[in-house]
Amino acid sequence: MRISSLLFVVSTDISISTTIKERIEQAGNGSILREKEFNSLALKLFQYQYRENSAYKNFCDAHGQTPDLVNHWHHVPALPTDAFKAEAYPLTTFPPKDAEKTFLTSGTTTESRGRHHFRCTELYERSIISTWRELSLPEVCSSLFLIPSPRQAPQSSLSHMMGVVSNQLASQSKWLITESGSIDFDSLTNSIKEKQAVVLIGTALSFLHLFDSMNSPIILPKGSWAMETGGYKGTHHQLSKSELHQLFNTNLGLHSDSIINEYSMTELSSQFYSRGLNCAHKGPSWTRIRVIDPITNTDAKPGELGHLVIYDLANVDSVMAIRTQDLAMQSQTRLEHENPSFKLIGRDPSALPRGCSRSSDESLSS
Amino acid sequence: MTPTQERIQHIFKACSHREVQQWTGLMTVDDLHAWLKQELGSELALDQFLPHGPLKSKAIAPQCILHIVSGNTPHAAFQSIIRGLIVGSHNIVKIPTSGLDAFTDALVHFPEPLRDLIEIHSALENEDWLRADVVVAIGSDKSIAAIQQQIKPNQHFIAHGHKVSIAIVYDDFKTAARRAARDASLFNQRGCLSIHAIYVQGDSMHFAELLAREMEQFSNNNPPKPVTISEAGAIRNLRETNRFCAANDTSVQLWESKDTLNWTVIHQNDPLLHLSCLNRCVFVKPLPPTIDSEILGAESDHLSTVAIHPFIDANTTLAESLPAHRICPLGESQNPSLFWHHDGIAPIASLVKWKDIG
Repeated sequence: MRISSLLFVVSTDISISTTIKERIEQAGNGSILREKEFNSLALKLFQYQYRENSAYKNFCDAHGQTPDLVNHWHHVPALPTDAFKAEAYPLTTFPPKDAEKTFLTSGTTTESRGRHHFRCTELYERSIISTWRELSLPEVCSSLFLIPSPRQAPQSSLSHMMGVVSNQLASQSKWLITESGSIDFDSLTNSIKEKQAVVLIGTALSFLHLFDSMNSPIILPKGSWAMETGGYKGTHHQLSKSELHQLFNTNLGLHSDSIINEYSMTELSSQFYSRGLNCAHKGPSWTRIRVIDPITNTDAKPGELGHLVIYDLANVDSVMAIRTQDLAMQSQTRLEHENPSFKLIGRDPSALPRGCSRSSDESLSS
Repeated sequence: MTPTQERIQHIFKACSHREVQQWTGLMTVDDLHAWLKQELGSELALDQFLPHGPLKSKAIAPQCILHIVSGNTPHAAFQSIIRGLIVGSHNIVKIPTSGLDAFTDALVHFPEPLRDLIEIHSALENEDWLRADVVVAIGSDKSIAAIQQQIKPNQHFIAHGHKVSIAIVYDDFKTAARRAARDASLFNQRGCLSIHAIYVQGDSMHFAELLAREMEQFSNNNPPKPVTISEAGAIRNLRETNRFCAANDTSVQLWESKDTLNWTVIHQNDPLLHLSCLNRCVFVKPLPPTIDSEILGAESDHLSTVAIHPFIDANTTLAESLPAHRICPLGESQNPSLFWHHDGIAPIASLVKWKDIG
């Protein structure tokens, strides 16, 4: 490569990363990305990732989809999340050894875990804060985290994200999971005694542990709210959203409209939120979603079930288009100024197909 | 005619009907007598006291057997109920709430004296549990553990946890591919005798290619039933993940039915046994120099059947060290003999108790 072309490539790379970073910042301040601009940035990002992320390029080639042929973000090949588990083929636009941070997906000791490498976390962190602002999520007053702190769980993207919320959005914070993994009840009750509104943030499972451990309800001060995230993967818990909300009400005195669900995953850099029961999840304007009917592999009609595919411009140095194994329904036709949204149904039970084969389990559950 | 001989006549009649026979296989009256004799020492063991060393002994069937059956494949339900009927027990069958139509619909072909011995329940009351002398359960480890919690000290519990089966191919790829396609495709791979992975000695990539052709052929002749959204999602995820691996590693290769989800073949060098997502998705791997539990990994604890081709003594001997309870010819993994020990358990002998005189 001649020096002039090299300089051009480097400047393009810096340009796409910088452009997206700045654009996300502006979106957080009210200037959201419209369709035309999103498409233009998505195609530039695809071009960049195709060129610099060789493992992803090979996947795109296998699909016969190259930047020359793709003229709409819909057609950017979506990578399944399981591909992040193939450690031999890192999904990065840079040498993985240069990663400032690597987050791992949750998993058992026998299960391989997905790896999402970040060249630097600045864009990721900007995405977290700008999403909060763009979606007008409630102010974070005194926050109590029912998850391990970033120091306790440096490989957890959730802990990192909540660390960002703690540092940049919360007026004060307490991490309630002790070094031994138990819940620090004293800190919880002391915070409540101050009669100031609090925000309780944790995984759905950590809330269940909290409720199980409580001797009597702790009614949170007026104005308090909670944020729960994650499902019950790998556990015996099978709770509907309304049952979970009922537990929030019984144990903490919170009503559904004071409960926010956060949906994201290690493989993404942006988040989606819903408030209350039966509400759609909304994402920031630098994301788009598709709901794909896996039988036909085409878009499911609005209101019909399919697998969620997410296009996240903040995933600059890995892969923008991610195919999840979560079931969702596409919301009705989205207007230009509206945020992308979907109705989340939950983790696809497809890991447990029917039959008496080892891969199945329904003799009691059905 | 003894009561047992009468029941055998009825079972023969039921199993002669096409709708039942497709799940039970062909059973002659002689087969059923021979089976009983093999399991209990005599075909008269349930009807009279017979010499047993210095004693006389008679096999006593449980008054009531509770069968808890899983899944969409009705094989296990038919096998379990026929064992209960041949010994003359009353049988409560708990089917999934989603139903098990192929089983329940076929019961109409059972003669009335047998039907009188069968109750079908989609949910169990406490009294159903209490009535059972023997509980036979077919399900995942988790389900079996949950059922075990309900077992009373006076009840005999027979558990059939979920299983996985594999094949080993040494030679004669063309025939082996045809037979492997059958074993991996029948009943959409939902049974515990369905093949999930095939270990191949020699050019495993070539075998995988031949297998893909045979899977297509089998699919053309026996199209699968439509899959659910979840099942389709699992197949898509498997295909896309392995498309990614294949694009980055020449030892991984993906073959798939065009424009449909009818079948999928994946070649991988990694010998670790992974469960397929079912619905005719099968892995092909090179046969490692030694094949044992350590090489196959944690799933080997759940091995049911190892299907071998060519089925000769030298090849079956090599598979004997694997923790499977059955080694059979490739192409026959889904058709176990009436005489097989289900998960290593003698299916009739395990149901009865004995009464001694002397």
